[in-house]
Amino acid sequence: MAGLRPRSRLSKVFPRMIIAILVGAVAIAAIAVLSLGMTSSSNKAQASTKTPNQKRFKGTRPIVVDKQTGQQRLPNQEEVDEVVASLSVLANRPENLPQAPAAAGGITVDLEGGFGGVMLGRPNPDGTWETKCVFTFSEGAEFLGLVKDDSTE
Amino acid sequence: MRKKQSLMKLFVMFVALAFIGLSAGNTLAAEAQFVIVNINTPGVGFNDPTPAAPVGGNTGTTLGEQRLIAFQHAAAIWSARLDSDVPIRIRAQFVALGPGVLGSAGPVSVARDFPNAPIAGTWYHVALANKLAGVDLLPANDDINANFSTNFNFYLGLDNNHGALNDLVAVLLHEFAHGLGFSQFASLANGSLFSGFPDVYNTKLLDLNTGLTWPQMTAAQRVASATSFGRVVWNGAFVTAGVPIVLSLGSPEVRVLNPGAIAGTYQFGTAGFGPAIGNPNVLADVVAAVDIAELGGTTTDGCSSFSNAGAVAGKIALVERGFCGFAVKARNASEAGAAAVIIYNQLANVNAAPPGMAGDGINDAFVTIPAVSLRRADGLAILAQLGGTVTASIGNDPLIRAGADALGRARVYAPFPVVGGSSISHYDTVARRNLLMEPAINADLTHNVKAPDDLTFELLRDEGWTFPDADSDSVPNDEDCNPNSDLSPTIIIGSINTGVPNTLFANGCTMADLLAQLAAEHAGDHGAFMEAVAALTNQWVADGLISGRQKGKIQNAAAKLFR
Repeated sequence: MAGLRPRSRLSKVFPRMIIAILVGAVAIAAIAVLSLGMTSSSNKAQASTKTPNQKRFKGTRPIVVDKQTGQQRLPNQEEVDEVVASLSVLANRPENLPQAPAAAGGITVDLEGGFGGVMLGRPNPDGTWETKCVFTFSEGAEFLGLVKDDSTE
Repeated sequence: MRKKQSLMKLFVMFVALAFIGLSAGNTLAAEAQFVIVNINTPGVGFNDPTPAAPVGGNTGTTLGEQRLIAFQHAAAIWSARLDSDVPIRIRAQFVALGPGVLGSAGPVSVARDFPNAPIAGTWYHVALANKLAGVDLLPANDDINANFSTNFNFYLGLDNNHGALNDLVAVLLHEFAHGLGFSQFASLANGSLFSGFPDVYNTKLLDLNTGLTWPQMTAAQRVASATSFGRVVWNGAFVTAGVPIVLSLGSPEVRVLNPGAIAGTYQFGTAGFGPAIGNPNVLADVVAAVDIAELGGTTTDGCSSFSNAGAVAGKIALVERGFCGFAVKARNASEAGAAAVIIYNQLANVNAAPPGMAGDGINDAFVTIPAVSLRRADGLAILAQLGGTVTASIGNDPLIRAGADALGRARVYAPFPVVGGSSISHYDTVARRNLLMEPAINADLTHNVKAPDDLTFELLRDEGWTFPDADSDSVPNDEDCNPNSDLSPTIIIGSINTGVPNTLFANGCTMADLLAQLAAEHAGDHGAFMEAVAALTNQWVADGLISGRQKGKIQNAAAKLFR
């Protein structure tokens, strides 16, 4: 997910790429560990996961259109992981961001990849898609039917 | 086509210079230059080499190429609308984002108190701040960050012929707008302003309950405002001017008329079955439906035939959500003779918004009355008053435009419960026609972002964006009959100043422009030129634009042009 955060121009890309690769490697390893630990539940209809803030989620809506069958189904463990990870980054609204003067005058704040609109989609029974643009994780999770999986805590 | 038009313009300009002796003298159009910064690695996203057949005007031959062309197309649409001397850099990639996540975009930075900032102590999206400052405030940074999903099957055509697929261009137009200025940064959880200052979007948000704009409010007031359904409007001149030509009359409303204690407009959800709201308008007393308590059900859920059908007949039936489908309840209300039905959330959805009610494909056909949903608190408030008479209306208010308030100001999305940033940073979903910046991408959107099709550009104008207008005649370049008009106060032909006022028409052409155009068209044929001038000036006389004497002055000057 580190790839979602970069924000500066190409002149800054190479050092950031190295950092991104390292962060990405750690993230992949973490997901792999998480996946291994949940292998037995990965194919269950209602999968659960942990986000970086240690909240567990499970899918309750058929938001996946299976590429093999074309049928709508609930997301499995890995897919819930992926959605939660994406939403956590894209819908982030960090606080206390540092303010910095601009050379040409004025004060600026780097939003660190947050505060963007995130367009979500879930399939309707007739094959069309219902969309919603959200700005927070909780709103996105609600729309996609991801709920905290209290039963595992 | 564009090249041909450009050559024609050059030719006309050349002749005009000789003909009138005074060029427009303006700089070239300053359409904002959008730069798509592709940060995908080789073989991925924009660089995906998977062969793809051209679709809907998208001539790319690989999946990656088609994605990039769609991005460039959306950027070009915005470029034609926005004026900036500073390029707008969109850092973009396609990556795996998980099921249901289509993509995201937003500003990379915000800025305040920069040179030429219109409002002090106010955050601006950096692309707008750059435009207003006339300089790139953060030259080492991009302006908009965009991430879209490789997993999602977008329609990649450019022609909006997307069928059941999601139109990538429409999604991009929407998300880019958030990055350009269509979003706010205050916390909707605690009402605090972003880093202690309002943003420019906040300054146009007017709360109708308090009469205050968001910067004028306390944090607690902002939190309350964010859930004041239908009570937050965009208080900007350009959007308000666009409302009458974009939004249609007939605002769908659910109102309680009495008793006074609960009177007002209620947030509601609509049904995917039965007649639409307003078909017909219903004004009636509300009666709580009573039915048999099935095993696991209640007497208030409307899941069985109503035992008080006599009392419900001709009235608005009030039932509780749960135990059976929405369509079952609405069918039972229909069969009891109700004029309409209200379904309010059950305890399990105590804090949920009124749901959109899907049909079941079985009972839908038996629903003959309008059905709406309410949040639980509103349903209980009505229920508590049913010891007396509660009168409500469900229908379209013919005097109010759908998506606007009674004064014609566009409503901002402010539903209960507060739903993060989606609230406030979009137009209200009751808008008709559908708008690009509602929370959902509706299937009937066009790719036009301004009136009469949309109100997105108008909102950005209210924040400080301007459109490309090389001759400053208030007509955008791409709609201008002549983007570089001769705006001389009087018509000058060759070296002769006719003294006739040089009228500017609504399409962006002046009288001098039209005469120059005739000179260009008939440069080698003086007779034909004079005939055309006579026809044109006669028409101006007929239209009351010039007098007969003024016509003579123009024709006399024109007669000497090629001599």
